[in-house]
Amino acid sequence: MIFLTVGTQFPFERLIKAMDEAVALRGVGEEIFAQIGDSAYLPRNFEFAPRLKKHIFDKRIRQASSLIGHAGIGTIITALDNNKPLLVMPRRKKYHEVVNDHQVAVAKKFEKRGYILAVYAEPELPGKIAQLRTFVPWQCSIRPQKAVEIIRQYLNQLVDCSGKR
Amino acid sequence: MKICIVASAGGHLSQLLKIADCWRGHEIFCITTSELVVSELQRYGKVYTVPECNRRHPVEVAKVFADCVKTILCERPQVVISTGAAVGCIECILGYVTGAKIVWIDSIANVNALSLSGRIIRYIADVFIVQWPELAEKYRKTRFARIAV
Repeated sequence: MIFLTVGTQFPFERLIKAMDEAVALRGVGEEIFAQIGDSAYLPRNFEFAPRLKKHIFDKRIRQASSLIGHAGIGTIITALDNNKPLLVMPRRKKYHEVVNDHQVAVAKKFEKRGYILAVYAEPELPGKIAQLRTFVPWQCSIRPQKAVEIIRQYLNQLVDCSGKR
Repeated sequence: MKICIVASAGGHLSQLLKIADCWRGHEIFCITTSELVVSELQRYGKVYTVPECNRRHPVEVAKVFADCVKTILCERPQVVISTGAAVGCIECILGYVTGAKIVWIDSIANVNALSLSGRIIRYIADVFIVQWPELAEKYRKTRFARIAV
């Protein structure tokens, strides 16, 4: 199963529609399930839900062979944490899909490092879905220890200070 | 200490929860923007939700602001830790004016420049972490430490 997710804050009809058309045209060789948010466009060629509770969302992620989504950091982190191949299409400001074009920068940065695949326009989508099947994401080691250490130290300092007062 | 952890649901929250170890042992309450993630946050402490808002909808921002004022006056945290976005920014400002210390981690989504919220909070933050080394060079008083990816 390919799990398509576009976040729940804003709709992302351009991607949902492009996926629907890709499936209608040639199929993608796999079942698709989508979390589409408040999308006015409803897909005809695969199952979907507007919103999934976190534990159901997580279950869908675990069951999926690969993920397709917007270039939101939440989606990217989820894919990397679960070691799932991810294909993203960034939301664009010019289509009023997001407040600025940070998703394009994010997609390029993570694509370049081999963490994800990315398409920047709808016509590229079917070709990239084919690549997604064999894509092996670069294994990243998440080491938040440094940040944890900085903050813990700071909090300890505060506790010490208030203790002395 | 009483600590407020605050982030919009989605990527901001996923990043914040990566550093959950840093607030272990403190009294926590959480503020986020979706009921969908409440159960996940309840393990840390009490959870408040406010509606989603951003710079495009000033009226919504004002409503969220009012909600946040209520929460902060009721809870009076000593520290606010946030990754953004708008709700994090609002809560940090309110925390600051009520005497709380501010810890801000700018989202990894901000590749070339700080987020709008980050640019505001930089002036009042006591700890300000960025996730790209280029940004730490570009902005004074920021520290580089990756929390996501």
